[in-house]
Amino acid sequence: MSRLLHDMNPSVKFIIVTVSMLTMAFFFNPWTPLLFWVGILALQFTMSRINWKLWALMMLPFTLGAVGYLWTTLVFGADSGGEVIGSFAGIEVTDEQWAHAWSLTFRVMAFSTLSLLFAFTTNPVTFVMSLMQQLKVPPKIAYGTMVGYQFLPVLKDELTQIRQAQRLRGVSQDRHWWQRVAGTRRLLIPMLAGAVRKAERAAFAMEARGFTGERRKEFYRPVRVSGRDYVLAGVFLAVLAVSCAAGLIMGK
Amino acid sequence: MLKSWKLKEIVLMSLFGVVFGIVYLVAIHFGNIWAGLIGPIAYEWMFGIWFIVSILSMAIIRKPGAAVLPETIAAIIEVMLGNAVGPRLILSGVIQGLGAEAAFAATRYRHFNLAVMMLAGAGAAVFSFVYGYFVSGYAALDPSFVLLMFTLRVLSGAIIAGIGGKYLADGLLATGALRGYAISRTKQGGAGA
Repeated sequence: MSRLLHDMNPSVKFIIVTVSMLTMAFFFNPWTPLLFWVGILALQFTMSRINWKLWALMMLPFTLGAVGYLWTTLVFGADSGGEVIGSFAGIEVTDEQWAHAWSLTFRVMAFSTLSLLFAFTTNPVTFVMSLMQQLKVPPKIAYGTMVGYQFLPVLKDELTQIRQAQRLRGVSQDRHWWQRVAGTRRLLIPMLAGAVRKAERAAFAMEARGFTGERRKEFYRPVRVSGRDYVLAGVFLAVLAVSCAAGLIMGK
Repeated sequence: MLKSWKLKEIVLMSLFGVVFGIVYLVAIHFGNIWAGLIGPIAYEWMFGIWFIVSILSMAIIRKPGAAVLPETIAAIIEVMLGNAVGPRLILSGVIQGLGAEAAFAATRYRHFNLAVMMLAGAGAAVFSFVYGYFVSGYAALDPSFVLLMFTLRVLSGAIIAGIGGKYLADGLLATGALRGYAISRTKQGGAGA
């Protein structure tokens, strides 16, 4: 029970998460995103084993962003009518704007919680394999993406190396952010040139070992959709439906 | 569409996606906190950074799809790395890529000069804004504020992605690493026909 979300088929999870987010976009009452957010938290809490400290740390910037949304919508909200319920520093806030602002804030929270649910319970390699096997992403793209993913640590080391080499030759360190932005070209060109060469070598090696990029029916490591995935998808959709319906009733 | 693509071109786009992922993290982490404090408008001026990979890849590979695919692959990789924006990033990647692709398709993939690239950057900005308007609920904001955000994003797309992409493509061409790609086959290099 407690690892259900980890074992869910990644493509099914991906579709459910995307559908939920697109559905949320139609609601401007505060209750729908709030209830959905609570529902997702409950699902994550009961059906997965994750590091909650790390989760809280990753949630932090989004919480700040949500606060940004709250006051932006209050100050620059659309003139949508409704009763004035209060004013602060000469800005009058109507009850409509108040509801919209909280709705967008909870939407940010619900979206980020849903994203973290996906990120914390999905194995990246299984995800791409599942995209290829269930959603028919062409093998060329799937494996090309995997190459990029595997090269990440190499390219990170290369960035450090390029910086050290430049420092050795007397390029001064950037102290301010505008210097850092202006200095990115100095780092980007060698990084990209290295990437071009690595890509060529990797592609050549793959083709030399018989990779043609044609579609297969059988896979070395099959990723399957089981009955459990349908049940889980149903649970997610039920949470979504309940929060939409409850939001419509309470938003009146 | 994929038939005419060489594997090395696809792997190239994927590695570009990774490089931009890294550089993005290095360049941007300074701005995250104040971006949180001043609300969604803080991200607008730097939106172009996300579109560069489309424009750079198209400048180099010059095939239909060379704008949509890298943006999509870059988004998949970011999701694989556990990006906290989550799976919807893939959808926004496809949409941004289509915006850039539209500009190149409108010129029938024949011109790759600065003007077309700036147009592609602006196209990506327009597409991504329409999508953002829907998903992030900009409808709840004041129209003049939304207009300001829109203008900032289009400018960012045209300047950062258009000019920046062209600048990087020319710089990369000068290193000689791009022999064997379409960009080296035209006489004027990046200037296009």
